[in-house]
Amino acid sequence: MIELQNVKKRYKMGDTIVMALDGVSITINEGEFVAIVGPSGSGKSTLMNVIGCLDVASDGSYVLNQIPIGKYHQDELADIRNQQIGFIFQQFNLLPNFTAIENVMMPMTYARMSPSKREEKAKLLLHQVGLGDRMYHKPTELSGGQQQRVSIARALANDPAIILADEPTGALDTKTGSEVLTMLKELNQSGKTVVIITHDMEVALRTNRMITLKDGKVDSDVKVGGKDA
Amino acid sequence: MLKEYMVIAAKSVLAHKIRALLTTLGVIIGVASVILLMSLGDSARNEAANQIRSIGSNLIFINVTDREGTLDRNWLKNIETNAQIAASSEMVSGNATYNVEGKDVIVSISGVNENYAFISNLSMSQGRFISEFDIESNVPVAVLGSKIGNLLFPNQEIIGNTILVQGVPFTVVGEVAERGTNFSGDNDMMVYIPMDYARSLYPSFVRNKTYYVAAESEETIDFTMNRIRLYLDTVLPSTDQYRMFSQTQILGVLDTLMGLLTTLLSGIASISLIVGGIGIMNIMLVTVRERTREIGIRKALGARRNQILIQFLIEAIIITTLGGILGLFVSYLGAMAITALTDFDVVIGWTAVMLSLAFSISIGVIFGIYPASTASKLEPVDALRYE
Repeated sequence: MIELQNVKKRYKMGDTIVMALDGVSITINEGEFVAIVGPSGSGKSTLMNVIGCLDVASDGSYVLNQIPIGKYHQDELADIRNQQIGFIFQQFNLLPNFTAIENVMMPMTYARMSPSKREEKAKLLLHQVGLGDRMYHKPTELSGGQQQRVSIARALANDPAIILADEPTGALDTKTGSEVLTMLKELNQSGKTVVIITHDMEVALRTNRMITLKDGKVDSDVKVGGKDA
Repeated sequence: MLKEYMVIAAKSVLAHKIRALLTTLGVIIGVASVILLMSLGDSARNEAANQIRSIGSNLIFINVTDREGTLDRNWLKNIETNAQIAASSEMVSGNATYNVEGKDVIVSISGVNENYAFISNLSMSQGRFISEFDIESNVPVAVLGSKIGNLLFPNQEIIGNTILVQGVPFTVVGEVAERGTNFSGDNDMMVYIPMDYARSLYPSFVRNKTYYVAAESEETIDFTMNRIRLYLDTVLPSTDQYRMFSQTQILGVLDTLMGLLTTLLSGIASISLIVGGIGIMNIMLVTVRERTREIGIRKALGARRNQILIQFLIEAIIITTLGGILGLFVSYLGAMAITALTDFDVVIGWTAVMLSLAFSISIGVIFGIYPASTASKLEPVDALRYE
């Protein structure tokens, strides 16, 4: 599903070149529930950008769902993100002027789905995340947990194989964070590959596999218990 | 997809109503002034054309400097049949000053013959014009322009009254209906007297002769002019001693001039459209910057570059079109005000409307493309990180 081989990512910061990723090789299979952890500056955000096709590696190869990423044009990468990946962000990243249902429909619009189909699907997804009665509210009228559930619904809009969550509980209190994690676990059980990027050990221990990054390299890659809350 | 773009654009415009309105102000002012000036120019052109047409479109003016006195007094009469002249009149002009309530009022005196009323399409509001008998028998009669009666004979019967011209008394026999001002001056401030009287009252003008000629019809005007030219070229010692032009030529020159003026003024006004466009580009650049995060989110979730470009371009076009419509509205109000406050009838033509809408849309495209392309080129990673 996700195959990274000796991936390197260099950044230019002023005159110095920073090696954000320094030869990362990871394989994540379909249906896995993985946490990528590490202290800040370890390169986990860069790794998330590479996995999410928001950025391309400077070196090495990355194959996503049999698609070799790297030799693609920006617009093709946009299509790959649209179809293959469901993003969940720490700050939710919902569009403030749009209602919950409009936010969920957005990726489907870019996938050129018909308006009636879009609406039907968005309603279904919002019901699934328990926001059937909040569909026409704007993000500012929703609590943090509700906003994160809208973004989960949005991540599922185009039925992606992979859910990529960047600190999904970072902006939430423990209880709502835990609820969000439970939802991600349920998604994993329904067959989605779920990758969480976090610095929170509590969160990481609830997944099934924990990859630790340090200085742009894989420090450890261990199976964890997937313990319940 | 277009509908979605419109919704997105409408939402973002509505989210900043005051800003959108201020942004469009330049376009509003630009469109309003362009439309108003174009319509004003057109109305002025029509007005002038109508005025000239009312004098007669088969009219020919001849101006001769007859230093040697070679021209026969009745030369036009002599070639009348040959040149297909319907009627002709010489005109000798002078001034007379009258004291009205302590102020000097200058009145134009025109010596003409009985044909002048027909040639110049004069209509009488009362009495009659100078007759053939008046001319032949040298009767001292005068016909007044419409403003003169009230000025010189307030609250008096005009017909039968006496007016003094250079000390010579003339009996008023008629009054001309209101005609307004044209290139020959204020027609309503004119006094017409028989030709021969004018000749003796204003001897200094005798060498410089002005003639009014009516061709038989508008179609034969060129023929008549050619015949007159032929005659004058033979009789006069040099061809630069006379000038001749027709009403149609004056109309053409005037039309060209007015058109030029309108174009020039509209051109100046359209500078404000460009300034307005720059304002829009500026605000769109600010908008793009403010919405960097939104652009990042949209790109992360699958928006292609073109889709972002079109989104922001449509937003710019919506703002400028809004400005165009408001500007149109303002120009309508302006036209109504001008029509109500002056005797000028300003009509906003469809050309002006279409042109201004086309203008405002193009301004949206021209000045929106750069900000939109800036937005579309943002890297999703950078845009998402932007706070």
